[in-house]
Amino acid sequence: MKQQGHLEKIIFTLIFGISSFFIWQLKLFDPQVFFPGLKRLAQFCSYLFPPNFDILPSVLWAMWETIQIALAGTILGFLMSLPLAFLGAKTFFGPTVTIIARGFIGAIRTIPSILYGVVFVVAFGLGPQAGAWGVAFYTLGYLAKIYYEAFEAVDQEVMEAVRSTGCSKLQLLRFAVMPETANTIISQVLFMFEYNIRSSTIMGFVGAGGIGYYMLGYVQMLQYQNLLTTLIVTFFVVMMIDFLSFRLRSMIVVAIPKP
Amino acid sequence: MNHKNHANCDHVSHFIDGDHKRSSVLKATNLWFKYEGQKSLLQGVNLEIRQNLVTMILGRSGSGKTTLLKLLGNLITPQKGKVEWLAADANRSAYSMPIAYIPQSLGLVRNMSVLDNTLTGALGYTPTAFTLIKQFRRETLSDAEEILKTLGIGDKKHRKVCTLSGGERQRVAIARALMLNPNLILADEFVSQLDPVTTMEILDMVRQLAQSGISFLVTTHDVELVQKYADRVVIMKEGHILCDHATSGMVVDEMLGCIK
Repeated sequence: MKQQGHLEKIIFTLIFGISSFFIWQLKLFDPQVFFPGLKRLAQFCSYLFPPNFDILPSVLWAMWETIQIALAGTILGFLMSLPLAFLGAKTFFGPTVTIIARGFIGAIRTIPSILYGVVFVVAFGLGPQAGAWGVAFYTLGYLAKIYYEAFEAVDQEVMEAVRSTGCSKLQLLRFAVMPETANTIISQVLFMFEYNIRSSTIMGFVGAGGIGYYMLGYVQMLQYQNLLTTLIVTFFVVMMIDFLSFRLRSMIVVAIPKP
Repeated sequence: MNHKNHANCDHVSHFIDGDHKRSSVLKATNLWFKYEGQKSLLQGVNLEIRQNLVTMILGRSGSGKTTLLKLLGNLITPQKGKVEWLAADANRSAYSMPIAYIPQSLGLVRNMSVLDNTLTGALGYTPTAFTLIKQFRRETLSDAEEILKTLGIGDKKHRKVCTLSGGERQRVAIARALMLNPNLILADEFVSQLDPVTTMEILDMVRQLAQSGISFLVTTHDVELVQKYADRVVIMKEGHILCDHATSGMVVDEMLGCIK
């Protein structure tokens, strides 16, 4: 016990020491940088007020486009993730198929959503199409991994019982694996939609449509009062969708008592 | 195995056995099985399952009962030996499977309705494309409803399995097995978690089904259940079959002597 307490102290001291070194090295609290920075931040905040609500119609339209990008991207990504998760689950296929599928999923996951935005802007040009495809591919990488792990965790006795009926792999997926993992499938796709509303905002920064495109424009043209209007609209919409998504999850995802 | 146990089992195996006159539905010869890196769970098991009988495999935990059942149900493959299906193929229709398997925890999909769980028994003989959109033949649907009604849970067909009692779930598992129109149902300790009254009801149902032409092979560690409900008993210990005999005339002490 005494030895374990000693080890904990060493670990905490080490973590504290390394963090302090990084903070010092990055000059986070360097008085010559920090205090003038705070002053400029306060000045910037003062430029934000009052918000300019004259631009509300165009901002609301851009926000609507952001919601469209997030929803279409989430649905597309979700639909593409299911067959890929099926191929990646060891429950259904041998190592050759699962290794290839998992390698593909891993490669998709390596690329951040903003880079997908850039790639699809190059492919389809500026606009919401690029944003929706970018969101879809990011969603695909995230959901496919969560889903194949959930598929593999299905109770073996359920799998054996359904498999013993002489069913095909697709029937096993439809009648055992998907109903058993329905809660994970639904809750994760709703969570992903919440996340994608925020990531769709960023997509606009690279010209992939939505409200982010306006935000970047207002910053570049120093129109900070317009920027605040877009931030207020984004804040309310994100809060509203988080709330709706939470309510939807509570309604759909029923707690299943263990036998 | 000690000397005393040997003596008891020899005594049991000398009882008069009239079941040999019945035809066999399944024959397992010299089955050997082990999971990779583990010791053999089954060592040269020979077994013959006879028609219209309730056969119970009796043994302690780890004796190899479940492994034997999975081998007979073709869920795992033996390293050595073979399982032969002996029922006449002429009697089998396109809408049936020879063997149904019920695992220990029943293997029901808790999030699906009673009817959908029952219909999973028909997956093997329904084209995949139709089942993916939950379309079954009209006859299959009416068969499922009829079976549920016969088993006394027809009024609960739309309820989710997770809302049912233990006994009702047992009936759903039997209904799913019956949808395969099997000659043999393999059931792994499937009454071990039920209260005595429900156990009695379920095993009475099993006996009725056996009389109607379905053979049952049930694993258990409850000697009294064997004596009351089984026509034959197969006693297993450490991967071997010590005794395979009719239960009539056997007493509890003799069976206990074998499995100890």
